Amino acid sequence: MLDRLEKVREEGFQRIAEAADRDALEAVRKELTGKKSALSEVLKSLGGLEPEMRKSVGMKANEVKNMFAERLQARAEELIASASAVEGEIDLTLPGIEVSGGALHPITQMCYDLNDAFRSLGFEIYSEDDISSEKFAFDNLNFAADHPARASMDTYWLEGTEDKRGNERLCLRPHLTGGSVRYLLEHGAPARFVYPGRVYRNETTDARHERAFFQYEALIVDKDISFSSGRVMIETILEKVFGRKVNVRMREGFFPFTEPGYEIDMECLLCGGKGCKACNHAGWIEVMPGGVIHPNVLRAANLDPDVWTGFYTNIGLDRLVMMRYGVDDVRLFHSADLRFLNQFK
Amino acid sequence: MYISMKFISRYVDLPKDLTHDQIAYDLTMRTVEVEEVIKTADRFHDIVVGEIKEVRPHPNADALKICMTDVGEDEIKQIVCGGSNLTAGHKVCVSKPGAEVVWHGEGEPVLIKESKLRGEKSYGMICSPLEVYLGDIIVPKDEREIVDFTELGIECEVGQSVAEVMGMDDVILEVDNKSLSNRPDLWGHYGIARELAAIYKVPLKELSSELPKGLPEYPVTIEEPERCNRFTATKIDNVYVKESPAWMKTLITNAGMRPINALVDITNFVLLAVGAPQHAYDSTHVDGDAIVVRLANDGEKLLLLDEKDLELTHDHLVICDTKKPLNLAGIKGGKDDSVLDDTTSVILECAVFTAPGIRRTTAYFNEKTDSALRYEKGIDTQRADLGVSMALSLFKEIYPDCIFSAFTDNYPVKTENAVIDITQDFLDRRLGEVLPQSEIEDILKRLGYEVSFDGEKYHCIVPTWRSTGDVSIHDDILGDIARLIGYEYFKKQPLPVKFDHCVNQVEKDLARRMREYLAFRCGMNEIFTYPWIDERFIHAAGIDTDKSIRLATPPAPELGMLRSSLIPGMLESIDKNSRYFEEFTLFEAAQVFEKGEYSPSTEEEVLPVHHNLLTGAFAGKDAKELFFKVKGVIEGMGSYCHFEPFTFKQKEKPSWADEKVWLNIMEDGKIAGSIGLISVQALNESGIKMMSAAAFELDTDVIKPYPSRTNEFRHLPQYPLVEQDLSLLVDESVTWGDIREAIKYMVKDLKFVEEYRGKQIPAGKKSIMLSLKIGNDDSTMTSKQIDKKMNGIIKVLGNKCGAQLR
Repeated sequence: MLDRLEKVREEGFQRIAEAADRDALEAVRKELTGKKSALSEVLKSLGGLEPEMRKSVGMKANEVKNMFAERLQARAEELIASASAVEGEIDLTLPGIEVSGGALHPITQMCYDLNDAFRSLGFEIYSEDDISSEKFAFDNLNFAADHPARASMDTYWLEGTEDKRGNERLCLRPHLTGGSVRYLLEHGAPARFVYPGRVYRNETTDARHERAFFQYEALIVDKDISFSSGRVMIETILEKVFGRKVNVRMREGFFPFTEPGYEIDMECLLCGGKGCKACNHAGWIEVMPGGVIHPNVLRAANLDPDVWTGFYTNIGLDRLVMMRYGVDDVRLFHSADLRFLNQFK
Repeated sequence: MYISMKFISRYVDLPKDLTHDQIAYDLTMRTVEVEEVIKTADRFHDIVVGEIKEVRPHPNADALKICMTDVGEDEIKQIVCGGSNLTAGHKVCVSKPGAEVVWHGEGEPVLIKESKLRGEKSYGMICSPLEVYLGDIIVPKDEREIVDFTELGIECEVGQSVAEVMGMDDVILEVDNKSLSNRPDLWGHYGIARELAAIYKVPLKELSSELPKGLPEYPVTIEEPERCNRFTATKIDNVYVKESPAWMKTLITNAGMRPINALVDITNFVLLAVGAPQHAYDSTHVDGDAIVVRLANDGEKLLLLDEKDLELTHDHLVICDTKKPLNLAGIKGGKDDSVLDDTTSVILECAVFTAPGIRRTTAYFNEKTDSALRYEKGIDTQRADLGVSMALSLFKEIYPDCIFSAFTDNYPVKTENAVIDITQDFLDRRLGEVLPQSEIEDILKRLGYEVSFDGEKYHCIVPTWRSTGDVSIHDDILGDIARLIGYEYFKKQPLPVKFDHCVNQVEKDLARRMREYLAFRCGMNEIFTYPWIDERFIHAAGIDTDKSIRLATPPAPELGMLRSSLIPGMLESIDKNSRYFEEFTLFEAAQVFEKGEYSPSTEEEVLPVHHNLLTGAFAGKDAKELFFKVKGVIEGMGSYCHFEPFTFKQKEKPSWADEKVWLNIMEDGKIAGSIGLISVQALNESGIKMMSAAAFELDTDVIKPYPSRTNEFRHLPQYPLVEQDLSLLVDESVTWGDIREAIKYMVKDLKFVEEYRGKQIPAGKKSIMLSLKIGNDDSTMTSKQIDKKMNGIIKVLGNKCGAQLR
């Protein structure tokens, strides 16, 4: 009888070890410890044995039962530790399931990056409407009465107003600068604000010229600030946008609404200033005009130019985005073409 | 504009160690933008002077000769040439192997190699002027005539570079004309020379401004002194048409103009030198021997030098004799009465016309001439002194026998010097640093200012060439000082920061959150379209155009109308993308316009009404699904963007929407926009095929954002909720909205699961499956309570909606 128990134990251990998964192990557990198992048979037959024999067989049988329980537990733990939720083979090089996300327009993305940068410097965001008058687009900004930009070859005047003057001659705004006087009339000085937006010029379009394009203008008005603060502001902003220090230079430039005015160039990021095709071998790229606000513009905003001064910066958003990604055709921005826009997710 | 450094060197001696790149850089930083530095010698590489030692016939070709030529190398070279004027002992122009020449002066340059011509070896090429870029300077009599330096009397050495011999070892700075627009003084080499002299602190050569004295008057009448501030006329006899000297032709060529003949070249040279335009008339053609500067009569005709036949109007200023117009004043001469082949006596005009009239006339006739470009910037009247003086000395040099027989200076308006005071205090504050008095005075004097300092302010007399509007206020003088020091030399000064408030603009945040919601949460792509829309799409969308605004000069005839809705642009964008994608989703935020009255800033300014709209669309196959996607986007917008969620009602069908499938978006009881399927008609008329689309359009100005977030929170349920699904059978006329309204107060949560019509459902009925949650606030629900609640719900559904359980 003891021999038989020993054989049951031996066979049982082997069966447990051979169970390949948790289902198989469960079957083995029933087989070894169930009512019809060999062990149960032995226990059932205990009654017909000699007392002494009954005692030793009974002890042995319980021992085997406990050993089975231990082995089953151990094997179950082993199987869990090595278990996979997936049956069979799996090709891990298959692509992940695509996240269906959309995208902001690359111009908007750049605009928001700039907004974040300027807001961190305490600038407010302002929006002027798309349609303006000659008064705000030109007169207030110290444009000469016969400045060529006022002609219909340059500016989109609205039908029925094109032969009028000043407040009554209306246009799609040709630049953002008119908004500066609107803001100052509303809020007074000191002021620091940005006013991004789209502007319109009557132009022949090609890969570098558009009729509708985006600008980003900033203006600070305060007492006794020097134009060299403007350079610090520009360097700070470009560093934020491009994620690294960008060298800039200010040079002579002329705009009716500034005095003095300057052009601001940034070091070409593609060649690092050595000169390449993108920067026309100059090493520098003209990114924005700027300058000290002209006294006549301050007067138009009801501010005394002997007290107040300030400076403009006008960033060409299209050009900045083109630099950021190497886009070579400005017309793509208004194409609404998803083959282009999907690249900026 | 092209600046020739050889031309410049006539007026200023620049430091010898200065490179041209450095000059270009310094000019760009301080004065005008130099776009390119062109070395004219570059295209003359390997083109040298050779001496023909012997001319032999070519054994195989009558038209060719063999020239044994010394090109300054160890051995005499054999060159085959077809030139008509090959002469032994003469010095000629030889292109050695490696040189690039242009056949007959046309087409792309060709590389010269050693070769054989009709069986005879040829080392290089003996060239005609056309082939080596000298056609404007050395005019050949026939196509086969080669450059013969000996014949031309040009001194040179064998082996010498032809560029050097011909003055083509020049450096040209190409200046961006835009950067010169406010500086009339820089539209001549002398003006640029003055800037360079100031930048490098070297002397500028003075020019004579002496006018002829003691000559008889030539009658000149100025009827419009406001348009013509000054008119000088010099009668010069005993001249004839001939070529200009080579040095002059070279400088004119390098500065970007073409030599014509000496009489015309003198006027062009003076224009290039001091920016004073001039014109020469054949004096025998001046009827009545008198000049009249007057406005044209309407309909008067003038044939210009460029063959353009003008019909003049009363706004056009013309230079006339006693009978007819001779010249479109300050812009272009007349063909019949300017310098002619047989001219022997000229009237030389050096005049000053004012800018506005020149601009109008230039634009009217589209005549952008070198002269007009200068006048339209505003020229000081004193410049005529330099112009006349320089022209007359050139006439004496080129025509030693010429006679100045009459002179008139009609000078009604003189440019006055601007006088401006600028205080030391103003300079210190605005420059951000204190500059020594001596430096400020030195800079200004170099630029031509007269300056005196009284301990507090600089009293500045602005030179006349800067007094035509360029320098008029003390800020202009500050600008001159700052730029000449160089913006790069000023210390960087950080921006002052005040921490008195933080920027808090909820409307701006809302606009951004809406875009981010659509892009990042709803998976839509942002697009931009133009404000002018092809009218085809406006009509396709059925937009009422009564209140539309139009452009006076639209980009194209069909693009004249400014948008009053974003839907037409969306239709166009769907059409474009449908060629590449089967399903996609787009959105756009932009302003639209309609007739009306709106004054954003001042009462005097009245603009059309602006609306800030947001549109979006889903395009694909399953129309119903597309509609509910759009509805989901609008339903979820409020919670993401922090405003009270929208409700929907059918009140006014948008013109672009499907007959049945549309809803108005309601905000505070008012229509804020619409959602709907794009109507089949709108799709058809937009050319969109095999595709459905659903869209929304929303006026974002009416949305009132929460000052921060909703600031509300619901406690988690203390006791478990019970979830139950119900499948109901209802009449077709019963809507989900009816069911929701009937029982929403009885449940903790209610969700639509699906709608079903099919075989098992009787006609006129539909099945709606819903899922709801019920529970007590103070205890766990018992099964009895659950049964009671559910029975109540079913009863209400039966009573209010006629619903039966399935």
